[in-house]
Amino acid sequence: MNPLPSEPWLARALALLDESAASMDAASRARLVRARDAALAQRRRHRHGRVIGGGLAGVALALALVAGIGHRHDAALVPDARVQGADVDADASGVDAIDLYENLDFYVWLDAEQQSRDD
Amino acid sequence: MPPQPVSAASAMAVDDIQAIERFLRDVERRALRMAELATGQREEALDLVQDAMFGFVRNYAARPPGEWRPLFWRVLDSRIHDWHRRRRVRVRWLGWLGRADAGDEDDPIAGAPDATEPGPLVRLAGGEAAAALESALRALPLRQRQAFLLRMWEGLDVAATAAAMRCSAGSVKTHLSRALANLRKQLEAHR
Repeated sequence: MNPLPSEPWLARALALLDESAASMDAASRARLVRARDAALAQRRRHRHGRVIGGGLAGVALALALVAGIGHRHDAALVPDARVQGADVDADASGVDAIDLYENLDFYVWLDAEQQSRDD
Repeated sequence: MPPQPVSAASAMAVDDIQAIERFLRDVERRALRMAELATGQREEALDLVQDAMFGFVRNYAARPPGEWRPLFWRVLDSRIHDWHRRRRVRVRWLGWLGRADAGDEDDPIAGAPDATEPGPLVRLAGGEAAAALESALRALPLRQRQAFLLRMWEGLDVAATAAAMRCSAGSVKTHLSRALANLRKQLEAHR
């Protein structure tokens, strides 16, 4: 690669360019500050949006997990249909037993009547 | 009040924003001078630099800081080229349609560099030498001026200049060589 030229006119030109950038008027400096702040605000909004978006996605995921677990838990609490039927039968046999106990005298009399007829 | 706990992610975000701010603060004045030399108009130049800052932050701020410099100049160079392209198209359309219907807003003369507005270098105390430099720089073709400013003033190497100008390293060398020859011819008398 060829070395960069180092001629006096060039050094003077670059010094003048540096000076022009350093001695900028106040209005232009203020406008540059506003432009920079606006660009950075855009960056902040972008980051903020990503954080909020990520947070919302996390919350949604957590809610979905909680809902899923709750659903499974509820399903575990619902009795099986077969077991439910057995419970109903058990209840029914329980009712019959109570009925037998309450009307025991009637059934004893009925049994005695049946035997006397057989005799 | 004790310092509030800051998460690692938010601390990184603050560092990130501060690093971008430092970078923009470092390049913005040279960017404005470059845009001003390209357009000849302060307000247009400020708009271009603002657009370049927005474009850079939007598209490239997430890249490693070591890559920022050529990328920022690439965005600004692109904005400057777009500005010249729009201006050429406007002038051509107005030429076809005739200027009788054109309002002041579309007047191509209004978009041309303002000869009465003192340039960024003319305002310097350097006087005659500064005026000569500004005149010589403005007389250069856009690609030559960009190659000179990016390579010699901004200090980008050939590859970074080529990336900023979206051309080959060979083109950069050619543009720079011609720019130096033109400037030497104009400015050697002002030693």
